[in-house]
Amino acid sequence: MKRCVWITIILPLALLSCGGQKTNQVSISWWHFWTDAHIRPVVAQMVDDFEKEHPGVSVELVDLTWADGHDKIAIAYSSGSGPDIVELGSDWILEFSSTGHLENLTDRVQPFHDQYLMWEPGEYHDSLFAFPWILGTRVLFVNCDLLTQAGYDSAFSPRDWPELMAAAQAVSERVQGAYGFGSNSAERHRLYKKFLPFLWSNGGEVLSGDGQECLLGSPEALEALEYYITLCKTGLTDTQRRLEDAFLEGKIAFLISGDWLLKRLENEKCDFKYVTQLIPPPKDGMSSASFAGGEYLALNARSQHKDIAFELIQHICSAKNQLRFCLANRTPTPSSKEASADPAFVAQPHFDTFIRQLSSSRTTPAHPKWVYIEGKLEKAVEEALYGTKSPEQALKDAKAAIKEILIQ
Amino acid sequence: MSLKGWLLFSPWIITFLVFWLFPLVYSFVLSLTDYRLLSTDINWTGMKNYVRLFSDPDFIIALKNSFLFVIGTIPFTTAIALGLALLLNERFRGRTFFRAAYFMPSITTMVVIALIFSNLYARDGYIHLLARMAGLSPPENGFLLSTKTALASIMAMDIWMASGYYMLLFLGGLQTIPIDLYEAARIAGASRQQQFWHITLPMLKPVTLFIIVINSIKSFQVFVEIFVMTKGGPLNATFTGVYFVYETGLRQFDFGYASAAAYVVFAVIGLASLIQFKLLRTEWRS
Repeated sequence: MKRCVWITIILPLALLSCGGQKTNQVSISWWHFWTDAHIRPVVAQMVDDFEKEHPGVSVELVDLTWADGHDKIAIAYSSGSGPDIVELGSDWILEFSSTGHLENLTDRVQPFHDQYLMWEPGEYHDSLFAFPWILGTRVLFVNCDLLTQAGYDSAFSPRDWPELMAAAQAVSERVQGAYGFGSNSAERHRLYKKFLPFLWSNGGEVLSGDGQECLLGSPEALEALEYYITLCKTGLTDTQRRLEDAFLEGKIAFLISGDWLLKRLENEKCDFKYVTQLIPPPKDGMSSASFAGGEYLALNARSQHKDIAFELIQHICSAKNQLRFCLANRTPTPSSKEASADPAFVAQPHFDTFIRQLSSSRTTPAHPKWVYIEGKLEKAVEEALYGTKSPEQALKDAKAAIKEILIQ
Repeated sequence: MSLKGWLLFSPWIITFLVFWLFPLVYSFVLSLTDYRLLSTDINWTGMKNYVRLFSDPDFIIALKNSFLFVIGTIPFTTAIALGLALLLNERFRGRTFFRAAYFMPSITTMVVIALIFSNLYARDGYIHLLARMAGLSPPENGFLLSTKTALASIMAMDIWMASGYYMLLFLGGLQTIPIDLYEAARIAGASRQQQFWHITLPMLKPVTLFIIVINSIKSFQVFVEIFVMTKGGPLNATFTGVYFVYETGLRQFDFGYASAAAYVVFAVIGLASLIQFKLLRTEWRS
């Protein structure tokens, strides 16, 4: 009996000590956000493959949530620790790169530059700090049944702003209980993302190329804001989540949204016919800009194992692994050009719309003070939307406020 | 205290020192600097953050909204809680059920309640429907998307949620009032109304003071409701003091400035509590 007790105590200890005996073991950590049951195993599998190809290397995979992941990363980096590899949203990169927490990847990514899309969000002072991984963009979702009910041909698709406006108005007026266009209400950090595509498509800009000047006073910006406000007034104004619910219920004819809505449309078996198309430009024949974002991988400037960590980044972003990931996650926009040209991949329903839209999509301007500028821009759109100021006055005030931020 | 005593106390003391006292003191130090999260460059700025706060229109709006929130909820919550407590202090069938039912919201997770109310307040939500049936003209896009009704809607939800908890405190208070006082009053010929004004209410003063102070502090700190339902919008209509701290600290990473704002909110709460204590205490003595 006594011997049994000893064995139960000593055996686990002996096993534990064996586990720690592997020498020359390199351990790198990767913080990521893909915790859903359908995609977590794919991420883990990619890591396992890497470990098999690189004996002696172990990868510690740490799950983050969207609720507090960003704060955790910020706190880890500011306390001097932080993982070797971190997944960053495209609009987060700058705050870490401009404060010196990320490794300058310019030389390392040189050979890959032509094989991947959308490097811009990782740029800072002519250097690159992040590797594009999984991208995303917004396209126009169209409920065809509502358009038919409003008297349009079933093959109709709006080619420019006036056609979109006319069709949206027709649905609002002619179809009982339905709305032409779904537009975002005042939602902090979200509303500006909805307005920017209209501004960009119309040739407007928030900042000049050198980031020294605010260009919101231009006639293009005013025209875009006026169009956006009119479009909002002909449709349903609500929060993003509720707009998507309304689209799924078949109540909205046009909604600009991302691939997550595609996923919901596939899962929730909607009983109406829908298509996706590029966001219409101001005039037929022009190209339209959409809002893009994405997930990037960056290397910790303090990492002890930069070479092997960069190999892991390459492995994760390889065309093969991106295809595997995107198919499992139903994401139509990998950063790898090879992956997004794969015939079987493009053949997936609606994927080609996203891939085509991505080529004319832009991300938030990379400016160290963007978070403040964004607030002023959003305030202007909000004021015009709620009618407390005319679009002209709102933009004028925003321009003055942004100018002050730029001087500081 | 003996070593054993300290040892037994240590889990609490260590947590208090590390997670409460240290951040409290450290954030005050930070409020005098221009520290930004992620940055290694820290400069001493003295009172500059505090001066900047009072010329920041957003912060003034935030403070104003916090005050509105407190002034608009405390009287209602207290009155409703007292009313419910008086009703549920009577003997009738199903009393326990109602006590539990009214208490229920205060043990439900705030986020859940906020999400449910977001739907109730929306344009196709139940409250919106009721308002239309009653012949009112509620805001077209729902209560939370109108600058006029957003803050009031969140306040109404807060009153609904908090009343049950304070009812329970009032119930406890009611049960500590000696029965003999009422008996003596009845013999002297006092009506029920007179009994309420001259016995119940004065005897409940300590509980009332406690409720008002605690509820004011909680209301000044309103955050989760705002975060889930409106994010401070539309047009800053629901932008409150603590939300300002969150936005500047964790969105803009302006930690020094956010710490200064937190200290101003703290001072405001402290001052308000002090005034409440003073006012209600003197009344009690007279």
